[in-house]
Amino acid sequence: MDYEQGMIGRGRDALEMIFDADSIKENLIDDIQIEAEIGPGAVVGTGLLDGEKATFIANDAQAINPRFNVVYFGVIGMEEAYKMALAVYSTIEADKDKPLEQKRPLVLIVDTPGNGPGKTEEIFGMNKATGSYQLALAEARKLGHPIIAMVIGRAISGAFLCHGLQADQILALDKTFGTMIHVMPLTSISRITKIDIERLEELSKDNPVFAAGVDFFHRLGGVEEIVKKVEDMKATIKKHIAEVREAKKAGQQEKLGPWGRGALGDERGGRVARKKVMEKMTEEYNAVADKYLNA
Amino acid sequence: MLSWDELQKAKFTEANARERAFGLVDKGTFTEFVSPRDRMPSPHLPVLGEAIGYDDGVVTGIGLIGKRPVFVVSQEGRFIGGAVGEVHGAKMVQAIKLALKAYEDVKVKYPDSYEERLPAVVISFETGGVRLHESNAGLLAHAEVMDQFQDARGKIPIIAVIGSKIGCFGGMGFVGAATDVIIMSEQGRLGLTGPEVIEQEMGKDEFDASNKALVFRTTGGKHKYIMQDANFLVEDSVAGFYQQLQEVMKLPFAEIEKFRRIGSKKLVEEQLELVKLAVGLGAKDSMDVWKYYGNEDPAKLVDMGPDEFLKVAKRRERKLG
Repeated sequence: MDYEQGMIGRGRDALEMIFDADSIKENLIDDIQIEAEIGPGAVVGTGLLDGEKATFIANDAQAINPRFNVVYFGVIGMEEAYKMALAVYSTIEADKDKPLEQKRPLVLIVDTPGNGPGKTEEIFGMNKATGSYQLALAEARKLGHPIIAMVIGRAISGAFLCHGLQADQILALDKTFGTMIHVMPLTSISRITKIDIERLEELSKDNPVFAAGVDFFHRLGGVEEIVKKVEDMKATIKKHIAEVREAKKAGQQEKLGPWGRGALGDERGGRVARKKVMEKMTEEYNAVADKYLNA
Repeated sequence: MLSWDELQKAKFTEANARERAFGLVDKGTFTEFVSPRDRMPSPHLPVLGEAIGYDDGVVTGIGLIGKRPVFVVSQEGRFIGGAVGEVHGAKMVQAIKLALKAYEDVKVKYPDSYEERLPAVVISFETGGVRLHESNAGLLAHAEVMDQFQDARGKIPIIAVIGSKIGCFGGMGFVGAATDVIIMSEQGRLGLTGPEVIEQEMGKDEFDASNKALVFRTTGGKHKYIMQDANFLVEDSVAGFYQQLQEVMKLPFAEIEKFRRIGSKKLVEEQLELVKLAVGLGAKDSMDVWKYYGNEDPAKLVDMGPDEFLKVAKRRERKLG
């Protein structure tokens, strides 16, 4: 396989590389069947990681959705987002009687350029679809399922929020693979903010807050670890699953997920205002709390 | 600033974020947290030569509705379109976090009667989502808000108030959808992709963003009310929203949960039925859907005042109740 071309558009290949040979069962979480017909842009199911069962949720950039013409090249449409949510809820259901340390992991393979834009999507509420998947992931994470997102290609804006940013930990292939993490390309930021592109390019060399790229996200605490080689994906995912599981067993959920990334952003110096603002708010609340709680 | 009594009569669309925050809770009860006096603006805007706001475009604080502590988040569309950056996002997240702390404290102190003092979060959305000037930090803040919402599930109600000019779009569009209760006015708009972006991505044939009537009937309060995406439709006044909040506060929490549209497997299945309808109906316009739900002459609903609309409009029926 030629890795030099990068992994964009190759969500299904990534599944083969990460999970044990012939272990992938699509649309099946134990005996819970997920409707195979819906959301072809999303691939969900169960695979084995050196024999350990895990739920996978990936983008299939080769698929098009015949019912929704906005869904192609990895776009998450309404059907895709709800299918992804069903995979999460079915995982919760399958492990509902298991203790925290035995909840199976979820592995998100991320390569998506966006959520479906369109009139039909707005009429029926695309915002509910993507919100739904995020709440499902947050619920699973809090119940103890380790959730690892592996960015293999594009992780863009709202689609990354939907598919990735609710994970316990986020890993990304090195930028040499063409991995992209951003909200908008600089050209679009320039057009909308009316700031010269030259100035944005200059500033983006060392400003992690708006610049595009995996390394900047790492500094903001948005990416836990950068994976240098495709062959290392499986081992790195497994390592992080083990780490997350340990943290959850020790009751350290606050070190994981979006909240954990907040602390990491502070530690790495990329987002330091956040904590100061939060502390100030707490201080001001504490000063008046009694009056409001005993009204 | 207008007095609380004057504010009640004011149009919601014309009220700024601070006025809304004051007016959505009982008279004289609002205390602002991290107000402009604290001078905690965005550290990122000056680098780009942009003007700062000492509240970073969001007013956060606490008020009362009856005995219930209400944590308010009110976004200011006049400051960079209400977009969420690092500080703005942190204020939002911490408001929910403090409400959850208040919930634990009230439960300990009033074990037998905590429901009458149950804290709530009210978010007055006016935003297009992530602030591009500090886009990465804004994105991460969105994920933190969703995370806090999940923490609040089954504990305290999160109520969305949508009736300001910018509406509630982008990443904040799904944050809005993930709340327990949504109150809108006809002027409020809720969605993911704003009209200009749809036109830009899909062409003018798919969506003409300059057609205001089309814009409002696709994502406006009346449409969302018919779809059951908005739970309540109120008139465009601060009093309209405040009084509806008072009514919602009277409901037991178990009833509040029933207003949700997403957040469980059952609700996903219900939404998938709606997606199937989208395919089956081949709807080209929201009015096709209004008609499907039994509104014989949907065009008539467009210009109807809120009182009459509420009397005659037929909504999607929900099986879950």
